[in-house]
Amino acid sequence: MALLRRALAAVGIAGIIAVVLRLRGSGGTPPQSGGWRELSGPDLR
Amino acid sequence: MRALVCGAGAVGARAARYLVADAGTEQVLVHDTDRKRQAAVVASLGDRATGLDQPDPTTADVVVLASPAARHAAVARAAVRAGRHVVSVADSVGAVEDLLDLHAEAHERGVVVAVGAGFGPGLSCVLACHAAAELDTVEEIHIAHHGTGGPACARQHHSALRGVGLDWRDHAWRRRPPGSGRELCFFPDPIGGFDCYRAALPDALLLVPSFPGVSRVTARLAATRRDRFTAGLPMLRPPHVEGRIGGLRVEVRGRRGRSYDTVVLGAVDRPAVAAGTVAALTARWVADGRADATGAAGLATLVEPLPFLHELARAGVRAAVFEGN
Repeated sequence: MALLRRALAAVGIAGIIAVVLRLRGSGGTPPQSGGWRELSGPDLR
Repeated sequence: MRALVCGAGAVGARAARYLVADAGTEQVLVHDTDRKRQAAVVASLGDRATGLDQPDPTTADVVVLASPAARHAAVARAAVRAGRHVVSVADSVGAVEDLLDLHAEAHERGVVVAVGAGFGPGLSCVLACHAAAELDTVEEIHIAHHGTGGPACARQHHSALRGVGLDWRDHAWRRRPPGSGRELCFFPDPIGGFDCYRAALPDALLLVPSFPGVSRVTARLAATRRDRFTAGLPMLRPPHVEGRIGGLRVEVRGRRGRSYDTVVLGAVDRPAVAAGTVAALTARWVADGRADATGAAGLATLVEPLPFLHELARAGVRAAVFEGN
Protein backbone atom coordinates (compact mmCIF):
# COMPACT_ATOMS: atom_id res chain seq x y z
CA MET A 1 0.00 0.00 0.00
CA ALA A 2 2.81 2.38 0.92
CA LEU A 3 4.54 1.50 -2.32
CA LEU A 4 1.39 2.32 -4.27
CA ARG A 5 1.03 5.66 -2.47
CA ARG A 6 4.65 6.54 -3.24
CA ALA A 7 4.20 5.59 -6.88
CA LEU A 8 1.04 7.72 -7.16
CA ALA A 9 2.80 10.63 -5.47
CA ALA A 10 5.74 10.32 -7.85
CA VAL A 11 3.41 10.26 -10.88
CA GLY A 12 1.54 13.30 -9.52
CA ILE A 13 4.72 15.30 -8.91
CA ALA A 14 6.03 14.37 -12.35
CA GLY A 15 2.73 15.50 -13.89
CA ILE A 16 2.87 18.86 -12.08
CA ILE A 17 6.45 19.41 -13.22
CA ALA A 18 5.47 18.52 -16.81
CA VAL A 19 2.56 20.99 -16.77
CA VAL A 20 4.78 23.76 -15.34
CA LEU A 21 7.46 23.10 -17.95
CA ARG A 22 4.89 23.00 -20.74
CA LEU A 23 3.26 26.29 -19.76
CA ARG A 24 6.37 28.14 -18.67
CA GLY A 25 7.05 31.41 -20.47
CA SER A 26 10.10 31.62 -22.65
CA GLY A 27 13.15 33.74 -22.96
CA GLY A 28 14.47 34.61 -26.36
CA THR A 29 16.35 37.59 -27.64
CA PRO A 30 14.44 40.42 -29.27
CA PRO A 31 15.96 42.06 -32.34
CA GLN A 32 18.93 44.21 -31.27
CA SER A 33 18.56 46.84 -33.96
CA GLY A 34 16.46 47.71 -36.99
CA GLY A 35 12.78 47.18 -37.58
CA TRP A 36 10.03 46.36 -40.03
CA ARG A 37 9.57 48.40 -43.21
CA GLU A 38 6.57 48.05 -45.51
CA LEU A 39 7.37 46.76 -49.00
CA SER A 40 6.25 49.34 -51.50
CA GLY A 41 7.05 50.98 -54.83
CA PRO A 42 10.60 50.03 -55.85
CA ASP A 43 10.57 46.86 -53.67
CA LEU A 44 7.79 45.39 -55.80
CA ARG A 45 9.15 46.16 -59.28
CA MET B 1 -14.79 35.02 -65.87
CA ARG B 2 -17.49 33.21 -63.94
CA ALA B 3 -16.42 32.30 -60.41
CA LEU B 4 -18.11 29.94 -57.97
CA VAL B 5 -17.34 30.74 -54.33
CA CYS B 6 -18.11 27.84 -51.98
CA GLY B 7 -18.49 29.10 -48.42
CA ALA B 8 -19.87 32.53 -47.58
CA GLY B 9 -18.13 32.94 -44.24
CA ALA B 10 -15.46 35.43 -43.25
CA VAL B 11 -13.07 34.43 -46.07
CA GLY B 12 -15.57 33.48 -48.79
CA ALA B 13 -17.56 36.71 -48.45
CA ARG B 14 -14.33 38.75 -48.83
CA ALA B 15 -13.25 36.73 -51.86
CA ALA B 16 -16.68 37.16 -53.48
CA ARG B 17 -16.61 40.90 -52.79
CA TYR B 18 -13.17 41.25 -54.38
CA LEU B 19 -14.29 39.25 -57.44
CA VAL B 20 -17.51 41.27 -57.89
CA ALA B 21 -15.49 44.50 -57.80
CA ASP B 22 -13.17 43.16 -60.53
CA ALA B 23 -14.22 44.46 -63.95
CA GLY B 24 -13.15 41.18 -65.56
CA THR B 25 -15.69 39.15 -63.59
CA GLU B 26 -18.88 38.34 -65.45
CA GLN B 27 -20.69 36.62 -62.58
CA VAL B 28 -20.01 35.40 -59.04
CA LEU B 29 -21.96 32.34 -57.90
CA VAL B 30 -22.13 31.83 -54.14
CA HIS B 31 -22.90 28.59 -52.34
CA ASP B 32 -23.12 28.04 -48.58
CA THR B 33 -24.79 25.29 -46.57
CA ASP B 34 -26.26 28.07 -44.40
CA ARG B 35 -28.94 29.42 -46.75
CA LYS B 36 -29.60 32.57 -44.70
CA ARG B 37 -25.94 33.52 -44.77
CA GLN B 38 -25.73 32.74 -48.49
CA ALA B 39 -28.76 34.97 -49.21
CA ALA B 40 -27.34 37.81 -47.09
CA VAL B 41 -23.96 37.72 -48.86
CA VAL B 42 -25.55 37.52 -52.34
CA ALA B 43 -27.84 40.46 -51.51
CA SER B 44 -24.85 42.54 -50.39
CA LEU B 45 -22.91 41.87 -53.60
CA GLY B 46 -25.36 43.31 -56.13
CA ASP B 47 -26.62 42.18 -59.54
CA ARG B 48 -23.59 40.18 -60.62
CA ALA B 49 -23.89 37.73 -57.71
CA THR B 50 -26.25 34.73 -57.66
CA GLY B 51 -26.88 32.07 -55.02
CA LEU B 52 -26.52 28.38 -55.85
CA ASP B 53 -28.25 25.49 -54.05
CA GLN B 54 -25.52 23.00 -54.95
CA PRO B 55 -21.79 23.63 -55.53
CA ASP B 56 -21.88 22.63 -59.20
CA PRO B 57 -18.41 23.36 -60.65
CA THR B 58 -19.63 23.20 -64.26
CA THR B 59 -21.38 26.55 -63.73
CA ALA B 60 -18.09 28.47 -63.46
CA ASP B 61 -14.60 28.85 -64.95
CA VAL B 62 -12.93 28.80 -61.55
CA VAL B 63 -14.07 27.44 -58.19
CA VAL B 64 -12.95 29.17 -54.97
CA LEU B 65 -13.21 26.85 -51.96
CA ALA B 66 -13.63 28.85 -48.75
CA SER B 67 -15.83 26.41 -46.85
CA PRO B 68 -14.43 24.33 -43.92
CA ALA B 69 -11.38 22.45 -45.26
CA ALA B 70 -12.84 18.94 -44.90
CA ARG B 71 -15.26 19.62 -47.78
CA HIS B 72 -12.65 20.86 -50.26
CA ALA B 73 -11.35 17.61 -51.76
CA ALA B 74 -14.74 16.33 -52.99
CA VAL B 75 -15.69 19.59 -54.73
CA ALA B 76 -12.16 20.03 -56.10
CA ARG B 77 -12.20 16.50 -57.56
CA ALA B 78 -15.52 17.19 -59.33
CA ALA B 79 -14.18 20.51 -60.62
CA VAL B 80 -11.00 18.96 -61.99
CA ARG B 81 -13.03 16.24 -63.74
CA ALA B 82 -15.16 18.99 -65.27
CA GLY B 83 -12.00 20.79 -66.44
CA ARG B 84 -12.38 23.76 -64.09
CA HIS B 85 -9.66 25.55 -62.13
CA VAL B 86 -9.78 25.37 -58.33
CA VAL B 87 -8.51 27.76 -55.66
CA SER B 88 -8.64 26.39 -52.12
CA VAL B 89 -7.89 28.21 -48.87
CA ALA B 90 -7.47 24.85 -47.06
CA ASP B 91 -5.25 25.17 -43.99
CA SER B 92 -5.32 21.63 -42.56
CA VAL B 93 -2.69 18.99 -43.31
CA GLY B 94 -5.27 16.37 -44.32
CA ALA B 95 -7.13 18.63 -46.75
CA VAL B 96 -3.89 19.88 -48.31
CA GLU B 97 -2.64 16.30 -48.79
CA ASP B 98 -5.96 15.32 -50.42
CA LEU B 99 -5.81 18.31 -52.77
CA LEU B 100 -2.16 17.71 -53.70
CA ASP B 101 -3.17 14.13 -54.60
CA LEU B 102 -5.17 15.64 -57.48
CA HIS B 103 -1.96 16.82 -59.15
CA ALA B 104 -1.65 14.14 -61.83
CA GLU B 105 -5.29 14.38 -62.92
CA ALA B 106 -5.28 18.18 -62.88
CA HIS B 107 -2.03 18.35 -64.84
CA GLU B 108 -3.38 15.89 -67.40
CA ARG B 109 -6.51 18.00 -67.89
CA GLY B 110 -4.50 21.24 -68.03
CA VAL B 111 -6.18 22.86 -65.03
CA VAL B 112 -4.77 24.46 -61.89
CA VAL B 113 -5.58 23.46 -58.31
CA ALA B 114 -4.14 26.26 -56.17
CA VAL B 115 -3.75 24.67 -52.73
CA GLY B 116 -3.56 26.71 -49.53
CA ALA B 117 -4.26 30.05 -51.26
CA GLY B 118 -5.11 32.07 -48.17
CA PHE B 119 -3.15 34.09 -45.61
CA GLY B 120 -1.17 31.25 -44.06
CA PRO B 121 -0.57 29.15 -46.04
CA GLY B 122 -0.89 31.27 -49.17
CA LEU B 123 0.66 34.67 -48.66
CA SER B 124 3.32 32.89 -46.57
CA CYS B 125 4.33 30.83 -49.65
CA VAL B 126 4.49 33.94 -51.86
CA LEU B 127 6.65 35.74 -49.28
CA ALA B 128 8.98 32.71 -49.05
CA CYS B 129 9.35 32.75 -52.83
CA HIS B 130 10.02 36.50 -52.83
CA ALA B 131 12.62 36.20 -50.07
CA ALA B 132 14.29 33.28 -51.85
CA ALA B 133 14.75 35.43 -54.96
CA GLU B 134 17.21 37.57 -52.98
CA LEU B 135 19.47 34.58 -52.28
CA ASP B 136 21.60 32.43 -54.58
CA THR B 137 20.67 29.19 -52.82
CA VAL B 138 17.95 28.51 -50.27
CA GLU B 139 18.81 26.21 -47.38
CA GLU B 140 16.15 26.86 -44.74
CA ILE B 141 12.62 28.28 -44.61
CA HIS B 142 10.88 28.94 -41.30
CA ILE B 143 7.27 30.13 -41.18
CA ALA B 144 5.40 31.47 -38.14
CA HIS B 145 1.67 32.23 -38.00
CA HIS B 146 -0.20 34.43 -35.54
CA GLY B 147 -3.96 34.85 -35.22
CA THR B 148 -7.01 33.37 -36.89
CA GLY B 149 -9.70 34.45 -39.35
CA GLY B 150 -13.28 33.30 -38.97
CA PRO B 151 -14.71 30.59 -36.67
CA ALA B 152 -13.64 27.71 -38.98
CA CYS B 153 -10.08 29.05 -38.90
CA ALA B 154 -10.18 29.35 -35.10
CA ARG B 155 -11.33 25.71 -34.83
CA GLN B 156 -8.51 24.67 -37.15
CA HIS B 157 -6.00 26.62 -34.99
CA HIS B 158 -7.26 24.79 -31.90
CA SER B 159 -7.04 21.41 -33.62
CA ALA B 160 -3.58 22.14 -35.11
CA LEU B 161 -2.14 22.67 -31.61
CA ARG B 162 -2.80 19.03 -30.74
CA GLY B 163 -1.77 17.63 -34.14
CA VAL B 164 1.65 16.24 -35.03
CA GLY B 165 3.96 18.80 -36.63
CA LEU B 166 5.51 18.00 -39.98
CA ASP B 167 9.06 19.30 -40.49
CA TRP B 168 11.35 18.88 -43.47
CA ARG B 169 14.87 18.28 -42.18
CA ASP B 170 17.96 16.97 -43.96
CA HIS B 171 15.85 16.17 -47.05
CA ALA B 172 13.40 13.94 -45.15
CA TRP B 173 10.04 14.36 -43.40
CA ARG B 174 10.13 14.34 -39.60
CA ARG B 175 7.07 14.09 -37.38
CA ARG B 176 7.33 16.34 -34.31
CA PRO B 177 5.28 16.37 -31.11
CA PRO B 178 2.64 19.11 -31.00
CA GLY B 179 3.59 22.05 -28.81
CA SER B 180 7.33 21.34 -29.04
CA GLY B 181 10.05 23.53 -30.56
CA ARG B 182 9.15 26.74 -28.72
CA GLU B 183 10.61 29.79 -30.43
CA LEU B 184 10.09 33.47 -29.69
CA CYS B 185 9.20 34.98 -33.07
CA PHE B 186 8.95 38.69 -33.75
CA PHE B 187 6.09 39.62 -36.07
CA PRO B 188 5.62 43.01 -37.72
CA ASP B 189 4.22 45.75 -35.49
CA PRO B 190 1.83 46.00 -33.72
CA ILE B 191 1.97 42.24 -32.96
CA GLY B 192 5.59 42.04 -31.83
CA GLY B 193 7.07 38.99 -30.08
CA PHE B 194 5.08 35.80 -29.53
CA ASP B 195 6.03 32.28 -28.49
CA CYS B 196 5.44 29.93 -31.42
CA TYR B 197 5.24 26.13 -31.35
CA ARG B 198 5.18 23.22 -33.75
CA ALA B 199 1.66 22.24 -34.79
CA ALA B 200 -0.14 20.40 -37.57
CA LEU B 201 0.47 23.00 -40.28
CA PRO B 202 0.63 22.30 -44.02
CA ASP B 203 3.19 24.94 -45.01
CA ALA B 204 6.11 22.56 -45.41
CA LEU B 205 4.04 20.27 -47.65
CA LEU B 206 3.47 23.19 -50.00
CA LEU B 207 6.95 24.73 -49.87
CA VAL B 208 9.24 21.70 -50.21
CA PRO B 209 8.23 20.90 -53.84
CA SER B 210 8.91 24.54 -54.81
CA PHE B 211 12.45 24.58 -53.40
CA PRO B 212 14.10 21.30 -54.46
CA GLY B 213 17.44 21.85 -52.70
CA VAL B 214 16.09 23.10 -49.37
CA SER B 215 17.27 21.15 -46.33
CA ARG B 216 14.94 22.51 -43.61
CA VAL B 217 11.37 23.77 -43.70
CA THR B 218 9.42 24.34 -40.49
CA ALA B 219 6.13 25.97 -39.55
CA ARG B 220 5.08 27.22 -36.13
CA LEU B 221 1.94 28.64 -34.64
CA ALA B 222 1.74 31.44 -32.06
CA ALA B 223 -0.13 30.24 -28.99
CA THR B 224 -0.86 31.52 -25.51
CA ARG B 225 -0.54 29.41 -22.37
CA ARG B 226 -4.32 28.97 -22.32
CA ASP B 227 -4.29 27.82 -25.98
CA ARG B 228 -1.72 25.16 -25.14
CA PHE B 229 -3.28 24.10 -21.86
CA THR B 230 -6.69 23.58 -23.50
CA ALA B 231 -5.43 22.19 -26.83
CA GLY B 232 -6.32 18.62 -25.87
CA LEU B 233 -9.87 19.52 -24.88
CA PRO B 234 -12.86 20.43 -27.05
CA MET B 235 -13.13 24.20 -27.57
CA LEU B 236 -14.46 25.44 -24.24
CA ARG B 237 -15.71 28.73 -25.60
CA PRO B 238 -17.19 29.62 -28.99
CA PRO B 239 -14.59 31.00 -31.42
CA HIS B 240 -14.07 34.74 -31.09
CA VAL B 241 -15.73 37.11 -33.50
CA GLU B 242 -13.71 37.57 -36.67
CA GLY B 243 -11.82 40.82 -37.02
CA ARG B 244 -8.77 40.58 -34.80
CA ILE B 245 -5.36 41.15 -36.28
CA GLY B 246 -3.02 38.34 -37.35
CA GLY B 247 0.46 38.12 -38.72
CA LEU B 248 2.97 36.11 -40.68
CA ARG B 249 6.73 35.85 -40.35
CA VAL B 250 8.75 34.16 -43.06
CA GLU B 251 12.47 33.62 -42.52
CA VAL B 252 14.53 32.31 -45.41
CA ARG B 253 18.19 31.41 -44.93
CA GLY B 254 20.71 30.61 -47.62
CA ARG B 255 23.81 31.71 -49.45
CA ARG B 256 24.31 35.01 -51.21
CA GLY B 257 27.72 34.98 -52.84
CA ARG B 258 30.14 33.59 -50.28
CA SER B 259 28.19 34.66 -47.22
CA TYR B 260 25.36 32.96 -45.34
CA ASP B 261 22.43 35.33 -45.22
CA THR B 262 18.90 35.57 -43.79
CA VAL B 263 15.91 37.39 -45.31
CA VAL B 264 12.89 38.01 -43.05
CA LEU B 265 9.55 39.08 -44.51
CA GLY B 266 6.21 39.46 -42.78
CA ALA B 267 2.67 40.73 -43.01
CA VAL B 268 0.01 41.97 -40.63
CA ASP B 269 -3.67 42.06 -41.49
CA ARG B 270 -7.02 40.66 -40.46
CA PRO B 271 -6.42 37.06 -41.57
CA ALA B 272 -9.87 36.52 -43.10
CA VAL B 273 -9.67 39.73 -45.13
CA ALA B 274 -6.17 38.94 -46.37
CA ALA B 275 -7.07 35.29 -47.10
CA GLY B 276 -10.15 36.33 -49.10
CA THR B 277 -8.09 38.80 -51.10
CA VAL B 278 -5.30 36.28 -51.80
CA ALA B 279 -7.84 33.62 -52.86
CA ALA B 280 -9.71 36.01 -55.16
CA LEU B 281 -6.51 37.36 -56.71
CA THR B 282 -5.31 33.79 -57.27
CA ALA B 283 -8.63 32.97 -58.98
CA ARG B 284 -8.21 36.00 -61.24
CA TRP B 285 -4.59 35.04 -61.91
CA VAL B 286 -5.46 31.43 -62.78
CA ALA B 287 -8.47 32.34 -64.95
CA ASP B 288 -6.27 34.78 -66.92
CA GLY B 289 -3.80 31.96 -67.66
CA ARG B 290 -1.03 33.62 -65.61
CA ALA B 291 -0.27 30.58 -63.42
CA ASP B 292 3.27 29.28 -63.92
CA ALA B 293 2.20 25.62 -63.95
CA THR B 294 -0.79 23.30 -64.18
CA GLY B 295 -1.68 20.66 -61.62
CA ALA B 296 -2.06 20.92 -57.86
CA ALA B 297 0.49 23.08 -56.03
CA GLY B 298 0.96 25.91 -53.56
CA LEU B 299 1.35 29.56 -54.49
CA ALA B 300 5.16 29.39 -54.35
CA THR B 301 4.97 27.22 -57.48
CA LEU B 302 2.05 28.92 -59.20
CA VAL B 303 2.59 32.69 -59.07
CA GLU B 304 5.34 35.21 -59.79
CA PRO B 305 5.88 36.77 -56.36
CA LEU B 306 6.67 40.36 -57.36
CA PRO B 307 3.63 41.13 -59.56
CA PHE B 308 1.41 39.13 -57.20
CA LEU B 309 2.60 41.10 -54.15
CA HIS B 310 2.23 44.33 -56.15
CA GLU B 311 -1.41 43.54 -56.93
CA LEU B 312 -2.03 42.47 -53.34
CA ALA B 313 -0.59 45.77 -52.10
CA ARG B 314 -2.98 47.63 -54.42
CA ALA B 315 -5.80 45.63 -52.82
CA GLY B 316 -4.62 46.69 -49.36
CA VAL B 317 -2.70 43.58 -48.27
CA ARG B 318 0.84 44.74 -47.63
CA ALA B 319 4.01 42.84 -46.84
CA ALA B 320 6.97 44.08 -44.81
CA VAL B 321 10.67 43.33 -44.60
CA PHE B 322 12.73 43.22 -41.42
CA GLU B 323 15.90 45.25 -41.67
CA GLY B 324 18.36 44.85 -38.82
CA ASN B 325 19.85 42.22 -36.56
